[in-house]
Amino acid sequence: MGFASIPSAIVVGVDGHRVAVEVHAARGIPGLTIVGLPDASCREARDRVRAAVLASGAKWTDQRVTVNLAPSSTRKVGSALDLAIAMAVLVASGELEAEHVRDVAFVGELGLDGTVRAVPGIVPIVDALGAEEVVVPVASATDAELVEGPRVRSVATLRELLAALRGEEPWPDHDRPPRDLSEPSTLDLSEVRGQAVVRRALEIAAAGGHHLLMIGPPGAGKTMLASRLPGLLPPLDRASAMEVSRIHSAAGHSLHGGLIRRPPLRAPHHSATMVSLIGGGTDAMRPGEVSMAHAGVLFLDELAEFPPTVLDALRQPLEEGVIRVNRARFAAKLPARFLLVAAMNPCPCGEAGRPGACRCPDGALARYHRRLSGPLLDRFDLRVDVLRPDVEQLLGGEAGESSSVVAQRVAGARQLALARGVLANAHLRGSELERWAPVTAEAHELLASTLRSGRLSARGLDRVRRVARTIADLAGHDGALTGAHIGTALHLRADVRLGAGVLA
Amino acid sequence: MSAFAAAEPAGDRRGLACAVALSALEGIGPATVLACVRGTGTGAAWDAVRAGRPQRIPPIAELVRRRAAKEPEMAQRLARQAAAIDPVVFLERHEAAGQRVAAYGTPGYPERLRNDPSPPAVVFWQGSLVGLDRPTVAIVGTRNATRLGCDTAARLAVELVERGVSVVSGLALGIDGAAHRAVVDRRGAGVAIGVVATGLERAYPRRHELLHRQVASTGLLLSESPIGSDPARWRFPARNRIIAGLSDAVVVVESRSAGGSMLTASEAVARDRTVLAVPGHPTSPASAGALDLIADGAVPVRDVTDVLVAIGMGGCEPVGHRDEAAAPAPISHLAARVLEVLEPGPSTLGELVVACAAGIEATSTALVELEVAGHIARSGGWFERTAEAGSARTGRDR
Repeated sequence: MGFASIPSAIVVGVDGHRVAVEVHAARGIPGLTIVGLPDASCREARDRVRAAVLASGAKWTDQRVTVNLAPSSTRKVGSALDLAIAMAVLVASGELEAEHVRDVAFVGELGLDGTVRAVPGIVPIVDALGAEEVVVPVASATDAELVEGPRVRSVATLRELLAALRGEEPWPDHDRPPRDLSEPSTLDLSEVRGQAVVRRALEIAAAGGHHLLMIGPPGAGKTMLASRLPGLLPPLDRASAMEVSRIHSAAGHSLHGGLIRRPPLRAPHHSATMVSLIGGGTDAMRPGEVSMAHAGVLFLDELAEFPPTVLDALRQPLEEGVIRVNRARFAAKLPARFLLVAAMNPCPCGEAGRPGACRCPDGALARYHRRLSGPLLDRFDLRVDVLRPDVEQLLGGEAGESSSVVAQRVAGARQLALARGVLANAHLRGSELERWAPVTAEAHELLASTLRSGRLSARGLDRVRRVARTIADLAGHDGALTGAHIGTALHLRADVRLGAGVLA
Repeated sequence: MSAFAAAEPAGDRRGLACAVALSALEGIGPATVLACVRGTGTGAAWDAVRAGRPQRIPPIAELVRRRAAKEPEMAQRLARQAAAIDPVVFLERHEAAGQRVAAYGTPGYPERLRNDPSPPAVVFWQGSLVGLDRPTVAIVGTRNATRLGCDTAARLAVELVERGVSVVSGLALGIDGAAHRAVVDRRGAGVAIGVVATGLERAYPRRHELLHRQVASTGLLLSESPIGSDPARWRFPARNRIIAGLSDAVVVVESRSAGGSMLTASEAVARDRTVLAVPGHPTSPASAGALDLIADGAVPVRDVTDVLVAIGMGGCEPVGHRDEAAAPAPISHLAARVLEVLEPGPSTLGELVVACAAGIEATSTALVELEVAGHIARSGGWFERTAEAGSARTGRDR
């Protein structure tokens, strides 16, 4: 009779969860059972582990083996526990000395030939383990080393792992996947010709964390403009970089051995499913696109083409910065604090809704706009029209400022926001606006007349003031907001036309 | 209504009911019903259709034969539909809804349509027909109008009703709606005559529901479609011929080259009515049709006097001069430049920044100045001149 307990971990959502793999081997009908709420892929470990152990040259016990994955009340998913199960079986059946695996944690999937394969989520897994020494697949080694603390051993096969543990051979020194620390090439704003207003809107969005809606016909360059936004945002600090890296690792993306230091840009297609966008789905609670965009930019092209249910689901992350996915057995909280940039065609005909020129039948326009709920449109502090630039601007127009120049101003504005106790002006609370965004008498009159005209709601009023604060910050203007700041903020917040001549 | 109905012989009432019921059948248009009214009589036609033997009635037989390729079973389908309708009960439904009904050639049928080349077989109306006894001018145009176009339509409409002219229009979005809204808002000034394509019980477009009700209660709302008629495509050009038929002159304020208002204009020409058009900027797509009309000989409208002359009221004393009001406040140079750029048509902030070669804040400030002064208006992300913009003076001019 033998017993062993080996530490390992799985990933649920974006967090690692420690799992103790306990094995009990005793006389009885030979066989292996796994208990402790394994899911299908986890239960299949039984067959993989047996084949891998035999392939490694070790003896498979003829005792009755019971594997318990503790804590046994939570569901275990994935194949990351394969390696730990194999080690526990070998120790329990006396093939390996317990002394050899003391204080070592194991993570990895096993192949039938004994190879050790990479698993998604290595960063949160290693982070959760808190072990002194951890054995991981070669392919995951560089990512695992991003977590400060444990000593990372990487192995390619179970055979060489056993040899190293028994002290018969030194730990293998595999070629690790190369570290890719080169700065990902960012697209520069100076490559955009014309479009002065949209460029300014991007700058304001980056500086103040204001969500941006671009309205324009196909081919106007909305995607090109949006893809330049991450380059304007300040690089991620250490804590954010770690958080973002954990999320991307949990989603199964390799980090190439470096923390993600640039704000990510995610641009899911409108045919994407609810689960792939919001996250959840299986028991593993994989993070969706909105979590992948955490601390970065979520770009939704063709906003009106997204299913209304998906768009409604965006409202929680837009408000709280997290997604809560609740399932019968457990719940996960996925971080999702992103800058939302969306693009849409004003109408199907592509004339951008130009009064007097749009040829869309009225019903088509109404149907098109009905897909966008008012509350969602209301979250866009900046709503600008993007028209196709004319030929002269495309060919001859002078290049605008480069991303680095704009990024400097953005960083300055973000500093001012930090001094006000928020990450960006968009997060200023309504009650703090009197203090941080007072207005001059002239600006007050402008706001009052706009309110009276019914074009601005009370909620919109606060949003306009926050944007105006950002505009002033970028211009280095300290003090009360003038009419020019408020006027510009108002003009950068176009009403969305619902059919000919009618506003909403 | 009951007194009116009682004055008629019972047979005529059944004829009217059958005419209404025939118009409700899918596939039978106003021309066919009219042919029945003029020919065998609608009672006989209804009985034949109901019995599944429309071949006995020449105009319907012709229709069934023409449609045979598309719908071989049309006679049976008509019979099935007709079986579900009791003509007299159906007619009473209209009366209960406050609608008045008259068939072509019977007393009560509007005088102006009596000699029309293609008059409606039956007309339904709510409100009073007195507006038709005055001079009438139709103001029509595109649904997707510019702000300037809507302002012009509204101003013309008000100036016409103030001189005792009734304004006819189609209650569509854009120009039509702007003209009638202005008339309705000037309560008591004059009569709005709305001609709609659907049944009177149904406001189409729905956004004009209030206007629809107001025109019905203060003016005249008229249609040739019975209750339950959907806004099918063919009904709109048909409606336009009634607008032309009811009017002494037709003013097209804004229309694209292939717009429905062009049809109204050609229907007016066919009826020997004067067609007028408001000249717009040559590059504005919204004015392309109006300019085509002028090129083809329509009378350009500079102000309401041109319209009055066209309907023989040229000598009318103007009711009052609003234009003689205090001189408008001067505007800044950049604002004047913005107004200039906006002359051909609406622009976005982005286009204005480029065209004025000014900064975003500066342009924005100029826009605020113009908006406050009422020279421009905003719709969506677009800025447009209003009718007031013409009077703007720069500081430089003084």
